Amino acid sequence: MEKLKQKDLILYSGLIILGLTAPYLFSAFKVQLTYLCVLIVLAMTWNLQGGEMGYNTFGNILFYGLGMYLTASVQVGMFFPLAEWTESGGEKTFVHTTTQYFQGIGVGLLVAAIIPTIIAGAIGYAILGLRGHYFAICTLGLGIAAGEIAGGIEIIGAGQGFTTPPFPAEIVDAEARGKFFYFLSFALLIGTFVFVKYIYGSRFRLILNAIRDNEDKAEAMGIQTMKYKIVGWMCSAFFCGLAGGIMGGLIGYIDSTDVAFDGREMGVFMVLMAILGGKGTLWGPVIGATLFHFFKEGLWTLILGWQYVALGVLIVVIVVYFPEGLMGWLREKYPERFGEVIDEKDRKAQVELK
Amino acid sequence: MNKIAKLFVTFISAITLALVSFTSSFAKVEGEYIVLGSAISLTGKYSSNGVHTQNGYNMAVDRINKMGGVEVQGKKYKFEIIYYDDESNPKRAAQLAERLIKQDGVHYMLGPYSSGLTKAIAPVTEKYKIPMVEANGASRSLFTKGYKYLFAVLSPANQYLEVAIDLAVEKNGGKGVKIAQAFEQDAFSQDVRLGILDAAKRTGSEIIIDDKLPKELNDMAATLAKVKAVKPDVLVVSGHTKGALTAIRQISEMKVDVPMLAMTHCDAAKLSKQHGKKSEFALCASQWHKNLSYKDKFFGSGKKYAKDFQKEFGYDPPYQSAESSAALLVFKDAFERANSFDRDAVRDALVDTEMQTFYGNIKFGPGGQNVAKPMILFQVRCKGDDCENRVVAPTKWASDKFYHPIPKWSERS
Repeated sequence: MEKLKQKDLILYSGLIILGLTAPYLFSAFKVQLTYLCVLIVLAMTWNLQGGEMGYNTFGNILFYGLGMYLTASVQVGMFFPLAEWTESGGEKTFVHTTTQYFQGIGVGLLVAAIIPTIIAGAIGYAILGLRGHYFAICTLGLGIAAGEIAGGIEIIGAGQGFTTPPFPAEIVDAEARGKFFYFLSFALLIGTFVFVKYIYGSRFRLILNAIRDNEDKAEAMGIQTMKYKIVGWMCSAFFCGLAGGIMGGLIGYIDSTDVAFDGREMGVFMVLMAILGGKGTLWGPVIGATLFHFFKEGLWTLILGWQYVALGVLIVVIVVYFPEGLMGWLREKYPERFGEVIDEKDRKAQVELK
Repeated sequence: MNKIAKLFVTFISAITLALVSFTSSFAKVEGEYIVLGSAISLTGKYSSNGVHTQNGYNMAVDRINKMGGVEVQGKKYKFEIIYYDDESNPKRAAQLAERLIKQDGVHYMLGPYSSGLTKAIAPVTEKYKIPMVEANGASRSLFTKGYKYLFAVLSPANQYLEVAIDLAVEKNGGKGVKIAQAFEQDAFSQDVRLGILDAAKRTGSEIIIDDKLPKELNDMAATLAKVKAVKPDVLVVSGHTKGALTAIRQISEMKVDVPMLAMTHCDAAKLSKQHGKKSEFALCASQWHKNLSYKDKFFGSGKKYAKDFQKEFGYDPPYQSAESSAALLVFKDAFERANSFDRDAVRDALVDTEMQTFYGNIKFGPGGQNVAKPMILFQVRCKGDDCENRVVAPTKWASDKFYHPIPKWSERS
């Protein structure tokens, strides 16, 4: 046991060192690395519902978008009239000072974490009673509705979009902005990973798994499934909100349906990445998100105009050949490496029974 | 567990290697080429206009390169453009702008298609002090942010249809009119809306319907039903290409009678071809029309440009293509005047731009918008089944008289 822990320690410290040095080693790729961190966070939090709890949600994009709008609104609203900022054609120019910018984004991120969590609790209470496809469809509607509603609210720019405060001009270093957002997202990634890993070692995960495997039985055993389902979703919302807040600042422009409540892209990607890597595993979403991001960044520009066809093919391939994801596939192929002992006789007997 | 760990470490190191081998970036000027970068919507909701934009850029690059290229410090250079597909998505566009600048080493940018995407890219180019000449981001809010490296060859969006309202008021004997309007929820169309609001206030007109249409709209029957009920004097619709097509399709299907119909993006949607007589009498705002009398030495007149474009790409150039071609003429001019590849020297040269192109006069205002060129209005008119866009305003270039009011559907054959 001790030995295993030591190996983990080496792995984790290696990854952290890589993460900390990456923006210096690959300076030109900072933005893509930031995206990668955010994608991993989204995949890991989706995995809590889709993988562990067996509730395929398309609604996590709601918290991501909320976080984005909240961070930007707070960051602007703390110092300037929000309505005047977002009203396009406004002749006045507002500029954040360096302190205002960082204070704003700090408080903004805090709000972006808390409010989506509360909303997840409220919505969860209302809809987590639905199961299976009904839940999936219902959450699909959440993201779309949020996008349309946000597109009609004037104070956050409505259809015009919301330009988030530019990085303070007093910081002359052109690399500073990239580094700031990278480290912010990397910190979020570490936070999320530590939290999810903690959950993986707790009773909470077992309860989520029980809900996934047979919710009625879990209930019959005296587990208040509703409570755990809601808490699980609130955890995801917390990190999704933060991820959204960071992305809003990084992208610099929030559009209601294309950037914030971007169910068509981010909303689908987070599911796809988790499934690609293997849902219901700790490392699956991490590996899935990384692979997916590299596939996307590396190949998409080579096949201009056909990238969505390629994405479609990828989805089909994943679902047909790796229904359990890469981790699941590896696990099936090399079960002993995952510490599983297989009784050959028993396995054969089962195959014959089938 | 340790096996997985090993696997993961191998994976990470493989990626690291791949990244390191990728990092070698290009230079802004490679050999005899000046490398420009652009993220263009080749897929997604703006794909048709994205292609118009790309064709415009390519046409100008070919022409300039063929006619001797760009002369800087006595040496001839050629233009080359690196394209990426932004998928009509602002998030992607911002990321690609970053990629063009940081990884491909691009020092001069051409704009994307649409205001929303330009809004997403401008903060990036501004941050890295990269001059960007854009031809398809007309939203007024682009020019009030104090951007120093953004230059637009077009007139701001709020000017698109203001003239149409003036025209309606004029036809109404100087009295205010009743306006019904429907706009897509995107940066550009919402700016056109602001322009109409200003015009309405100025002329004492009343807005009786003010609808928002969803993105990628293909249904506006609800708005049209209201229009049928309240009978406004003018109906204004703006929602890029799809908006124009949807409006004409449903107005003709529902036989909505309205004395005046003002729109944007008619030529990009090839309305007169696609819908023929159904689109007759539609009044359209345009940045450019081939019949205007501007000239330059690369493309000659607008008519000649249209002919060459038709030969190359097989369709009549919409203004989106023309303005995109003009963007390259502006860049060429700026490089030659700056006589240097220094970004700030090029930027300063861009500020002083004052030139005529086949597309119109170009001179940048303090916000970066083109202040030297008015918007024009044309009306779709048909002879038999052959429909054409005819310029009706401003009077200087008008080839036809503005036909008003639109006859009722029951009287149209």
